[in-house]
Order: sequence, then C-alpha cells, then structure tokens
Amino acid sequence: MKLKDVISPFYVWQRAFEKPYTNTKPIDTRPGADAYRGFHVNDIDKCVGCSSCQTICQNHAIDMVTTDKNSMPGDSGLRPRFDYGRCCWCALCVDICPSGSLHMSNEYAWVSDDPDSFRFTPGVDEKPWYQHEQGYHRDPNYNLLKLERAEMDMLSTEEGLKSFDEVVSGYNHEQAIAEADRCIECNICIATCPAHMDIPDYIKAIREQDLEEGLRILYKTNPFSATCGRICTHRCEDDCTISHLGKPLAIRWLKRYIIDQIPAENFARILQDSCEENGKKVAIVGAGPGGMSAAYYLRKQGYRVSVYEANKRAGGMLRYGVPTYRLPDDQLDKDIDYIISLGVTMHYETKVGIDIEFNTILDNNDAVFLSTGLNVPSNLRITGEEHPRVVSGLQVLFDTASGNNPNVGQKVAVIGGGNVAMDAARVSRRFGADVTVLYRRRLEDMPADPEEIKEATEEHCHFVTQAIPVKIVPADNPNQAIIHWGEAEMVDDGKGGRPRPILQDDKMHTETYDTIISAIGQSGDYSFLSESIRNDLSLKWHKFEVDDRQRTRIGNIFIGGDVANEVADAVSAIADGHNAAIGIHQYISEKV
Amino acid sequence: MNLTHDFSPTPEVDLASGKYVKIWHGPQHPGITGNMSLELTLCGDEIVNCKTHVGYLHRGFEKLMERRTYIQNFPLVCRIAVPEPTFNEYLYSAGIEDLAGIEVPELAKWLRCLNLELMRLGSFLMWLGGASGAFGMSTVYQWTVTHRDYILDLFEEMTGARIYHMYISPGGVRAPLPDGFKDRCLMVMKKVEKLLYEVETTVLNNAVFKKRAIGLGVISSDMVDAYGVTGPNQRAAGYARDTRKDSPYLVYEQLDFDVITATGSDAFDRTIVRYQEMHQCVSLIRQMLDRMPTDGAFHTPTPNVLHWKIPAGETYVKAECTRGEYGYYIETDGSEYVRRVHIRGPSYTHAIAVMEKLVIGANIADVAGLMVSLHTYPPEIER
Amino acid sequence: MIEALKQRLSEHFQLTNLTIKNAGLAFLWVEKHELEMLLRQLRDFEGYTHLSFIIASDHIEKNQFKLTYMLHNYDTKHDLGVHVDISRVNASMHSIHPLWAQAWTYQRELKEMYGIDFPESPRVDEDFCLEGWDDMPPMRRDFDTVKYCEEHFDDRDGRATEENRQTMKVNIYPERGE
Repeated sequence: MKLKDVISPFYVWQRAFEKPYTNTKPIDTRPGADAYRGFHVNDIDKCVGCSSCQTICQNHAIDMVTTDKNSMPGDSGLRPRFDYGRCCWCALCVDICPSGSLHMSNEYAWVSDDPDSFRFTPGVDEKPWYQHEQGYHRDPNYNLLKLERAEMDMLSTEEGLKSFDEVVSGYNHEQAIAEADRCIECNICIATCPAHMDIPDYIKAIREQDLEEGLRILYKTNPFSATCGRICTHRCEDDCTISHLGKPLAIRWLKRYIIDQIPAENFARILQDSCEENGKKVAIVGAGPGGMSAAYYLRKQGYRVSVYEANKRAGGMLRYGVPTYRLPDDQLDKDIDYIISLGVTMHYETKVGIDIEFNTILDNNDAVFLSTGLNVPSNLRITGEEHPRVVSGLQVLFDTASGNNPNVGQKVAVIGGGNVAMDAARVSRRFGADVTVLYRRRLEDMPADPEEIKEATEEHCHFVTQAIPVKIVPADNPNQAIIHWGEAEMVDDGKGGRPRPILQDDKMHTETYDTIISAIGQSGDYSFLSESIRNDLSLKWHKFEVDDRQRTRIGNIFIGGDVANEVADAVSAIADGHNAAIGIHQYISEKV
Repeated sequence: MNLTHDFSPTPEVDLASGKYVKIWHGPQHPGITGNMSLELTLCGDEIVNCKTHVGYLHRGFEKLMERRTYIQNFPLVCRIAVPEPTFNEYLYSAGIEDLAGIEVPELAKWLRCLNLELMRLGSFLMWLGGASGAFGMSTVYQWTVTHRDYILDLFEEMTGARIYHMYISPGGVRAPLPDGFKDRCLMVMKKVEKLLYEVETTVLNNAVFKKRAIGLGVISSDMVDAYGVTGPNQRAAGYARDTRKDSPYLVYEQLDFDVITATGSDAFDRTIVRYQEMHQCVSLIRQMLDRMPTDGAFHTPTPNVLHWKIPAGETYVKAECTRGEYGYYIETDGSEYVRRVHIRGPSYTHAIAVMEKLVIGANIADVAGLMVSLHTYPPEIER
Repeated sequence: MIEALKQRLSEHFQLTNLTIKNAGLAFLWVEKHELEMLLRQLRDFEGYTHLSFIIASDHIEKNQFKLTYMLHNYDTKHDLGVHVDISRVNASMHSIHPLWAQAWTYQRELKEMYGIDFPESPRVDEDFCLEGWDDMPPMRRDFDTVKYCEEHFDDRDGRATEENRQTMKVNIYPERGE
C-alpha cells in the first residue's frame, strides 16, 4: 500500500467550505430555462376547440369542456382542460396545436392543498404564469402538421383560354393520399358545410384507399359530389383548422378525387340504394341541385317523385350558369343520371304555370318541393340599358351552355363583381374578347369566390374597381354601345358596416364596347304561384320564409335552394333538398 | 468458448440446518441502484446463495407501447430508464425511422449524439457518486451529483426539461441549440474535468477503496459471452468491444476516440474503465461542439402523426449506453400501432445471471459495492 | 457474407425464410425442433457468441407466437435474429438454458408474460415481475389493459369531456342534416 493512497483521500476537505448548488426556496427562486416545459398557457381567443391536443395526449390528461365561448362555424367553443394529475409535460399538445394558441410557460412550481385545483382550463382559470415571456413554444422549423397543400395539376392560362376544357385536372393517387394525410380529423368543418357532410370520414376513406366507402359517405349527405367536388364554394376550407397556420385542406378536390376514381356504372352496386315503394307521391318544381337532391333522398324513402323542369335538361344553374371549364357536362350528368336512374320521373320543357297549372300538381301529390332558383337578371337601373348590346350575364352563360355563340364581339365590359360576372367575363375571354370588369366597390368587397377572381385576373380580365355606371348611349356603330361611368369614393357608412361607394361627378369616363354584360344580381320568378298561395307563403326580400326542414306556412309545400336561403350557392341548395326530403317524410308520415 | 459452464442457478440450501440465515438486501437499501432486491442466504457473513428479485418498477412499457400511436410513444419511452432517458428516445426514434424509411438531417445527428454523450456523462457522474457511496465515501456523492446537476441545467436549456428530455423525436430533434449553449457547455466540461481529477485523488487513489474493490467480483474472461456481459463490464475484462466503434451510429465515425479496456475485470478495474470513459465523454463533447454544423434542418417531417401507419417489418437498433448494449427490437404490422417493442437493457443479465454468480462467496458488506460496480438499472430489466 | 452463412446452415437445417435488413442485421426462420441445434451451431462454429435477448411476439391472428433469439457476432459485427413460430395453444418451447447463462431468465419472463412453457428451464415457474398475478399472461394481445384497469381501479371524479362534432351540431344546427 502506498502512502499516497492513504493521504490523498483527505483531499475531500478542500471543498468543505464551498457554497452548495441547491437553492433555498422560497427565499431564492430559480426560474426555469427559456424553453422550459412548464405550466400550460392557452390563448383562448386563438384556440378553436379542435381537440387535437386531446387526441394526441398519450396520458388522457386533457378534457374538452364548455366555456363562455359560443360554438360557431370554425370554433367548437370547447377549450382544453388539463388534469395535472396525469400530465407529463411532454408538450405534444403544443406541438400539434394547429391554431398556435397553446404553449407552455417556464413556471414549474405550484403548491396547493386542494388536489382538485390541479385540474384547470388554461386561459380561462386565472394563473400567475400567463404573463411569463419564457417557456416552451414550438420551434417554427419543427412541425408535426403539414401546412402546404399537395400540388394540383392545372391547365396553363394560355391553354385554358383556348377552349372550354376543364382547367383543374384533379388529384392523382399520390397527390390525393398526400393531401388526405394532412387532415387532423378535428371535425370542425362539418358544422360549416351547409350539407354537414362527414368530411373527415371521407378523407379517411381516401387515406385508407377505400374509395367505395368514401362514395357511400358522400352520398349520405350529398348526391352532387362530382359537381361539388369541382365548383363548391367550399366554405369548409375557409374554416379548416389547418388554415390558421397553413393552407387549408383541399377538401373539395379530395371529394372530387373519390368521384373521379369510380365509374358511374359502379354507383348502383356500391351505394345499394333500394327504393322500396311506399305509394306516396311528391312533386318537385325545378331540376336544379336543390330539386334533384330532394328527389334523391325522397326516392330512397320510396316516394314516387316527379320533377318539372322548364329547360331541356336537368341541372339548373349548374348546367346553364356554370361554364364547362369549371364543371364539364359529363360530370354533372354523372350526378344527375344516377339520381334519375333510381326511378325519378322527369318532365322536361314543362313550365309550371304555362304547360301545367301549379294547383294541379299540388292536388295530385302528397307534397310539393319548390326549388325554382333565381333566373331573372336584375336591371342596371340606368338610362339606356335597353340598348341591344346590353345583355345579361345569365343570357351569355345560358347561350354558351346551350351550344350557341353569344357573339359578344371584341371588346366587352362586364358590370358586377359576383360569380356570374366572373363567369361571363371568363367565357367572353374564351370567345376571344378583351374584357373589362367594372365593379362599384373595392376588389376585397367582391362577392365572387377569391379563386374565381384570381383565375379571371390570370386570364387577363381587366378589373376596374370603384366604377359606377351612369348611363348607356348608342354608339355610331349600331353594334356597339357607349357606357358612361364615374369613379367612386368609398365612404364610411358610420355604422361600422362596409363602406359605401359614392359617385364623384367630376371623375367621369366614357368607353365604347361591343357588348356590355350586366351581372349585378338576379331574382326569382314566382308568377306560376297564385296570388293567394304567394301571400300565404310569405316572401321576405324576394325570398321565401322557411324553417330548418324547408317547411312553409302551407303544410304540403316545401321550398329550398336559392329562392329560400341567403347564401344561394349549390351546396346550400343541395342541403335544402336533403332537409326538405326529411321534412316531407316527417310531414307525410305524421299525416297518415 | 468454454462449453462446460453450468448456468443453472445456485442450488437451494437447507435452511432448517440452522447454519444459514436469509436476508433481503433491498428493495429499499442505500446500496441498491434503484428498486430491486437480492434474497441472500448467508453462512456467517459469506454469501452462499442469491436470488435477484425484480418487479418493483414493472410498469408494462412494452405493453403500453402497443396501445399508443407512434408519436404517443415518444414521450413514454424516456421513462424506461430514469438516469438515462435519452438512449430510449434515440433508439425508439432510430427504430421507427428505420422502419418508416425516414432520413434524419445531418444537424439532428450531431444534436442527438451530443445529447447522448452529455447523458452518458451525467449518468456516469451519478454512478460515480453511487460507487463512492457504496464504499463509504458519501462526500464524493455530493460532488458528483452537483456536477450532474450542471449537466441537467444544460439539458434544461437544450431540451426544455431536466430529466425526461423528450428531445429526440422520430424524424430528428425538437429544437436547435439555444444561443450561447456552446460556451456554457464548455464551462461545465471544465468543471467536470476538474472534478474528475479530484475524484481520482480521493477515490481511485484511496487505500480503502483499493483494498475493497480490487479482486471483488471478477468476471472471468470466458464468462463474458456466456453471460452476455457488455459495456464497461466487458471492456474491463479485456474485450475492446464498443458499439460506437463496432457498428457506428450517428456521427461517431467522425469523432476520435479509442475503446478503453482494462484487464483486472474486478470492481476496481470497472471503475477505472468508467472513469476513463468519463474523460472520453468530455473529449467527445468538445469535439462535437467544435465540429457540428451550426444551422440547417434538424427535423425531417413525418407523415401526419395523428394517423401515422408504418409498413409491416421488424428491426433491431442498438447503441452503447453507459452499461453496455442497449437495444430496441421493434416489429410493426402496418397499422397505426406498433406490434411489439422489446427493450434490451444490459442490466437484464448483469443484475440477475451475472450478479447471482459473482456474489457467491462475497462478503455481505461488499454486496452493495459489487452491485454498483456492475452498474445495473432495474427499470430496464422490468420495463 | 450472410448468403454464405445461409449456404452453410442450409446443409444441416431447414431454414424456412431469410430476410436481410441491412449489412449488420438479418432475420431467419427455423423450425421449432431445429432451434437448439442451430443456435449451438451459430454459437460454436459461426461466431455468434453473444445472445442479446429472447422475446416472443403474439401473432394472435395466425394463432402463433413468434419467438426471436437475437444473436451477435463480435467478429463480423453482425446481428442475427432467429425466429421460431410456435403454436399459441399449450405454447411450449425447448429450453436453451445450457447455452447461455441469461437464457433461463428470459424463459421465466416468457412464461409469465406470455404463458409459454419451457419445461426444462430452471425456476421457470417462479414469479418474475408479477407477484401474485392471477389473470391471463398480460403480454398476450387478447389481454385488454384498459378493461383490466376499469375492472380493478376507479377513475377520480371530476373528469368529463365533450366531443366537438356533437357539441357543434347541438349548438349550431340542431335541426339540420340527418
């Protein structure tokens, strides 16, 4: 044994007077590191109650509870409540949070003699650490969510302008799977969708490559999926939870993907819609999306359904209002033909009130569903608008859809900022015209879909905003008209609403056009209804008053679609048709 | 290899003879690493029979993991070995990445490796304290645990937590290094190095320690493979085997280090090997801080973790932890859940088969020291 | 390398399958009755001297347990997993405790966690982790941990959660849709 080995252990005394590294709480405290995973903080105004935190929590530490936040489209109103008896502070909830509302402070000490107090709703229950700057925030470069959309193949603008071929190609298998993978199944979109489609379920079917199940899910709430997969206003995407930090899911295109993959002849085998006759009869006026949707769900219940349609073919505005580069005819037929194949009786070119009296229909059926749509263009209400070169947007679209060239000429002005205006403008571009869109308010005030505005811009439609038409006068050339318009100033209405355009008399312009297309709105034609029925049905702002099941004050009359709902889009009409079918079924069942 | 080993457990003795006494060493005992117990049969103060009892820490991790999605397992695995959570995080992620075909960015490899080596150092520091304590030098325990705390401070900065870092996730790591981390880390390394020399003076050159540890618990060279001995226990027996060298993972190929061996294969030489490996850790950490890239991606996006399915397959990934071969066998079946995970910890054999063999004939007072010299963590036995 | 090994082994054994995972890892399948001899061969003549672990995984849909014996060759730095499929009914397997010292512990664990018997294995019936366990071997896939917990433990009061799909329907559109 060496002497050194005996002496050297006494070296321990060297540290005897060193200050200990521990600290004496509560006299001195040591804050957690900058990125410490401490207690939760939730910005409840940013949170949308999507439950992703609850889904990912591996300890079941999170409950979604009601707070004073109301449920509304895009926000369930629920907020996460943490049980700190179970939480392990792994921060997966923070990492997944698609609204970016959840993070953690660096506070780690919490003393209480009440065990129940450790169950709390961050952001709702007041806690001292909400003010802490430090704490765990997801690093911007670390992302569990996919924020970018799968690429969609589209025709180039030049190609698109050459014909009426469909612009959007639709997803292929890889793109669809990649896009479907982005869904977090939070279910928030279901409430926003007018038809309340089971969106996360059919997206899941895509992921699991069970498209037949996907088709069945689609048809539960929407028999116009090929159509909606193309031209739906997709308000679900506006409220998609992923949109808070990234691009919303392409829900509409995923729906289209399902339909595109399944040939029409397989629908009957997959959907197995049995239509056991129940002996009751329902008539539908108008074969647009609302009417045909009602026909589908009524036929499935076993009703004998007769549809009266003024035009040559079914589809309503979908056929005569939507250009084929957005919705090809064969795709619309895919939807409609399946519905008709279930045994719906179609009466084409039958104008109710002219070819057949409405009361006859009413008397011969157990119930009637009216979904006639808005097909009367509104007037510009300026002098000179009766000039032959002033035509309505609807007329241009109708002619185009019927296979007739609307002959718009070389230089076209479109007045209006809605979807009809955009469609009329883009159709005119395809006929080779230079198009100027005159809109009385600002670009951001346009009621048209942002996509349509974007595509119209790309197709070189020239936008002139804050332009108010004043009068139209004949030009020297009888095939031209001159429009006088004035610049508008946007003036606050003083009530917090959107600013109003006020004409500035000193800033007037004149321009000559081959065609002036007016597309500032449309209304319904109710002349087929007798005076007394019209009074009983109660019209308000040119729309019929109905309840959630499309019931009116007259028991056997149900109304839906653009003539009843405020938003006047296809999917709302489809939803109305579905709800009318439920309402009619309830009404007839109760009557018996 | 010696084919004549008798691996049967030592036979029971006749307790009724009155010559023997049976005592329980653990599950609560200062000389026990974690909660496990040895059922010792003594004749005088000499041990004639030993049975290792585990189960005090059984939490059924492998079963739990079969019920959780791939991302949900990531915060779970670190709990399997408390003093060394990082190895679980790394191996779980590496296994999942292997099965799912995910390539990890370069920076993430360095950060993972840095994390693992810091963890190794922290774990060794705690072990060094335990080893000193088991041989009666609790003062050193206070020093080493303090220095481990300096390392935990670094972890807190780097990962957001001191013990359960949850830092290495499938795809990479969760965050880049915070600003100024390198300087603070180097400062801690300096402190640790100073401590190591003090420990050398007070423990390794300590007459009492030498007297007790030299010749204690000799793992003979032919026992090594027969008993599945790995890690420093194996290297102290003269085998230059180290997973970091033999099957390099992460960035070990780019680092300079040698496999440390000894020849005595007793408690003392095992301590020496670990002591030198701590110096090696400090060197590796310095090398990494010097050479690692300072920016770039640190996480490869995975498929949506809420419904992540991994194709059917199986893999075995392993790493050199402080105690030896730590491995994850993962089997997937194409669903959103793992089919089977097995966590291979070196203590499984060190604390049972090896311990039961080595302890025979030892003195009761040396059991704690012997056990610590094998560096066993019960949680990785039971999982 | 592994192909050559397969060649050599095939002379004596019926190898039913071989998958090469990467340069350092391969798995092969062997019949139950040949396992012990194969492991001996691998250990004594092929350099696979190290046994990493023995485990089972439950393939309930095939009514089989898949046993895995993970071996390591320190010279070639190669891991080799040897698989044996055995029936789930009265599951039983030959003990390899004479080959490696830690084998009987693994076999004891497999008995407890899966109910696989190793008749010759020492102390195989002793409790390993689960003292006083009287239910089905818990690692079997038909053992439902949640059900077990519900039967044996109570939840603390005060937890309740809402499902946002239902909440939103009730609050926003109670009378619409199906």
